[in-house]
Amino acid sequence: MSTEITSTPSAVATDAVVVATDLTKIYGEGDSEVRALDGVSVSFPKGQVAAVMGPAGSGKSTLMHILAGLDQPTSGSVLVDGTELAGLNDQKLTLLRRDKIGFVFQFFNLLPMLTAKENIELPMKIAGSTPDPEWQATLVEATGLGTRMTHKPAELSGGQQQRVAVARALLSKPAVIFGDEPTGTLDSKTSSEVLALLRRAVDEFGQTVIMVTHDASAAAIADRTLFLRDGKIVRDAGHLSAGEILDTIKTLE
Amino acid sequence: MIALVLRGLSTRKLRSALTAIAILLGVTMISGTLVLTDQIDRAFVQIFQQGNSKINVVVKQKPPFKDPQTEVFLNADLVTAVRAADGVRLAEPFIQVQGYVIVDGEPMDQTGGAPSFVFSSVSEELNPYSPIEGRLPTASGEIAIAKEIATKSKAKVGQAVTLATQDGIKPVKIVGIVQYGDGTTSLGGSTTVLAPLIDVQNWWSLQGKASYIYAKAKDGVSDEQLKANVRAALPQTDVIVQTGKEDADEQASVLNDLIGKIIRYALLAFAGVAVLVGAFIIYNTFSITVAQRTREFAMLRTIGASRRQILGTVVGEAFIIGSVASIIGIGLGMVFAWGLNKLFGAIGFGLPATGLILSWQTVVVALAVGVGITVLASIFPALRATKIAPIAALREGATLPVGRFQKLTPALAIVIAVLGAAGMVFGLISEADTTSRLLTLAGGAILIFVAVAMLARFIVRPVVGVLSVPITKVAGGVGKLASENAVRNPARTAVTAAALMIGIGLVVFVTIFVGGLRESFTGAIDNSLKSDVTVTARGFGGSLPAGVLDAVKAVPGVETASPVGGTAAQVDGQTFALIGVDLTTITDVYAFDWNDGSDEAVQSLGSDTALVEEAIATTLKLATGDSFKIQTISGKSATFTVAGTYTDPTILNGFVVDQAALKPLLQSNATGLNTVFVTETPGSNPDTVQAALDEALKGYPTAQVQSNAQQKDQVASSVNTILVIFYALLALSVMISLFGIVNTLVLSIFERTREIGMLRSVGTTRRQLRAMIRWEAVITSIIGGVLGVLLGIMFGWAVCKGLESEGLSFVFPTVQIVIFLVLSIVAGIVAAILPARRAAKLDVLEALQYE
Repeated sequence: MSTEITSTPSAVATDAVVVATDLTKIYGEGDSEVRALDGVSVSFPKGQVAAVMGPAGSGKSTLMHILAGLDQPTSGSVLVDGTELAGLNDQKLTLLRRDKIGFVFQFFNLLPMLTAKENIELPMKIAGSTPDPEWQATLVEATGLGTRMTHKPAELSGGQQQRVAVARALLSKPAVIFGDEPTGTLDSKTSSEVLALLRRAVDEFGQTVIMVTHDASAAAIADRTLFLRDGKIVRDAGHLSAGEILDTIKTLE
Repeated sequence: MIALVLRGLSTRKLRSALTAIAILLGVTMISGTLVLTDQIDRAFVQIFQQGNSKINVVVKQKPPFKDPQTEVFLNADLVTAVRAADGVRLAEPFIQVQGYVIVDGEPMDQTGGAPSFVFSSVSEELNPYSPIEGRLPTASGEIAIAKEIATKSKAKVGQAVTLATQDGIKPVKIVGIVQYGDGTTSLGGSTTVLAPLIDVQNWWSLQGKASYIYAKAKDGVSDEQLKANVRAALPQTDVIVQTGKEDADEQASVLNDLIGKIIRYALLAFAGVAVLVGAFIIYNTFSITVAQRTREFAMLRTIGASRRQILGTVVGEAFIIGSVASIIGIGLGMVFAWGLNKLFGAIGFGLPATGLILSWQTVVVALAVGVGITVLASIFPALRATKIAPIAALREGATLPVGRFQKLTPALAIVIAVLGAAGMVFGLISEADTTSRLLTLAGGAILIFVAVAMLARFIVRPVVGVLSVPITKVAGGVGKLASENAVRNPARTAVTAAALMIGIGLVVFVTIFVGGLRESFTGAIDNSLKSDVTVTARGFGGSLPAGVLDAVKAVPGVETASPVGGTAAQVDGQTFALIGVDLTTITDVYAFDWNDGSDEAVQSLGSDTALVEEAIATTLKLATGDSFKIQTISGKSATFTVAGTYTDPTILNGFVVDQAALKPLLQSNATGLNTVFVTETPGSNPDTVQAALDEALKGYPTAQVQSNAQQKDQVASSVNTILVIFYALLALSVMISLFGIVNTLVLSIFERTREIGMLRSVGTTRRQLRAMIRWEAVITSIIGGVLGVLLGIMFGWAVCKGLESEGLSFVFPTVQIVIFLVLSIVAGIVAAILPARRAAKLDVLEALQYE
């Protein structure tokens, strides 16, 4: 598979999993032109949780979509695990997502007709590969669902469903996991269970997580916190507490 | 991925089942038709093979051309030569003619126009019939009857009955009850009578004639050897020598062409309509579900599913639904065939029975059509699913992208419509053979249906705009909501309506077409006949005994009795009717619609001049003064000069000559009398005259006396039978389209769960909710009904105009159309029952929280 993905030597630090250079995204034309991203350059090293924050319309979602290859920038470049995304056709992007990217969505996006276990295995099934049983067992244990693995999503709580979704993203050991408001529909208790799992994915399993969130307590587990406004990175900080995060947000608004 | 597809199907059971039904019914009809016609085909072969099982070689007359309605005979004396041939142990002449036995005044003839046969009895060594009671008839005045007659009439051996013959009623005595072959098969509702050769020859004016000469071989002589020997003994070129098996296969195939194939193609055509309607529904269902699963497909794309895999998921689902539906359809097809057997039996067209067998060809065809159409119909929706961008997984309320294809729809639809219209025009006016004309016509009609379905979305909005006014008046706010729901997704409403459109369209077309057929007959009777009463022969192709004419003439109150006779004849390799008339009286009973000529010209027709029907004259490029050579089925030829042309595609459709000129061209047994047109003396009581005619013709049971009104009634009643059968077959397609409405409603209710919860929470009652769904269904069915009626009228008009020269006229069926429109509204109401219930049952709170 990897032979089909054009690898270009990276000029940036070799431990960076995702590297964005001078990203610009413009919607519309003329008077109605909106610069969702305005010259963003950022790189994400391996083994970290990064939180991307910012008010509505700041461009944080657009940034994540472009980093994950779901949307194309107007200009600029994105490298994911050494692969330049620009110019990849649909088939190559699909293979890249299959091998190198995991997703955790706000609305879980589990298939209602499959059991939790089957949902976790789904990406591997689609790729036609067999999951590493030891790794799968570790992940199942990490979700804490135990015997509920044979239940359908409708029979699980929101937090449980999202932990299944995290496990699903982790099973193929991707280079990076993108989270789109992973705690957006959860209460504080279930949300902390999910965040703990994401943290553990990085600390114990050496994964990399980039999540967009407006939840300060979610961002508080991050090793690095980025703040966007009007399509620009306005602050790039290390780990911040929830209080510090809220303060920064206030200054941004 | 397959597991995913299967799991998806099992969680959406109702939808999957409704989709499956759409294709299942069509497949049922296809496999049922194939099973049934295979059965008929096999039964014919089996019947004739059993009939010839004791016969090694058959000698028969070679007709100059084939005409399935005319029996040809050979010289019975040839049997002497056959007997003298090497290896022949036994040879006998055999005759088959039309006739029937009358038991206690009750004629034991076939119903439904099939012929009833009298066979000359050959010795038991050759006879396909064997007595199960009594013996075979040998002496004059003896007969044996088929066991079916005995069962029906309770006639006994030894009973005196009468036999309806060419020569009038003959008293006979039953000496035996016989069964055909081993008794397991029969010619559908057999009415066969066996009589001694001499009686059959005398009573059917066939002295010295035979239908066949049967020969049996000496031990050790093979069929082929015997055939060669007999052939060598018969130098005549106008006789055919065949082995018993060759003859049986030929007879079976002739009969199969006449009956089996017609049933097969007619039923397959209706099955094709059902499948077409099913295809629309499958297309629609898949379009809706793909739209509803946008988020799901996007998610699969984000986690690494390729476009091909998404395509595979949708098409795979179609494949499984198609396969399951086809397999069930094949099973139901057996039931369908069995039911049709019973139905044909009940309405008097008893089919030869041999039991139902499912051939592998039936399975292959049914599976290929069922699976093929389902997969094909799912391909466009599946392609749209592959266009879903993975990013849609991250957006709430993501909708399906508008395909490039969609923007081209109007242009494409117009191209398809033009192609369809061209196909229909070609089918109507070209001079190609009937099969290819019918196929082009049908293909053209299908294209037009598809084009209208594609364009229908553009009329949904205006039509609903008009409908919403009265609906809002009747149903208030709920009606307004229903109208708005109907235009929410015009394409969906349009395709759902289109499925119904096809069924209704064909119902209207068939009504117009069959109405035109009836009109062509009744119109011809009204316009062409000056006579008051017509005497014809029962059964098809039958001729009247010569004595009928004098008997009719002697009846008081009869002013003119004008005889008409005819035979099949060929000109330039095409078969027409050569009609002989009585020159002095024909214009008193029949009004020629002259193109070139006059009534005076009829009187002066000589022995070598003829009048030609206009359409035939056009086909053969004949004009007054031209000569043509004609050969009749007897093998004799004559040359006639055209003395005039007239138009009549119905009654005297052929070449009209003096009956004196016809006579020498007939077979020796033919009376040259098929019909007597009778006018009554002015002032006489029609009922009295008709009763007197019936009385006078008592000795001629094959003669049938009908007033013009009775003839019209007879036409109307057989036309109505056809119409009822057509309606029944089209009802299936309409039913399938109802499942389509149900399916669309169920799916859109599912989609609007939250909205329905909201409606209920703000005080909409269950009853109002049900009414809303019902009105949505009614709007869809009205659109389908109106489009169908319009297309049906258009098709009907086009076909009637195209076939005008063959006598078809366009009659606008106002009453029926009103009925069909009302029925389509009723159909909508019926289709709404289940979805409305489901919507009303939704729990308000759960519905509100539904995501």
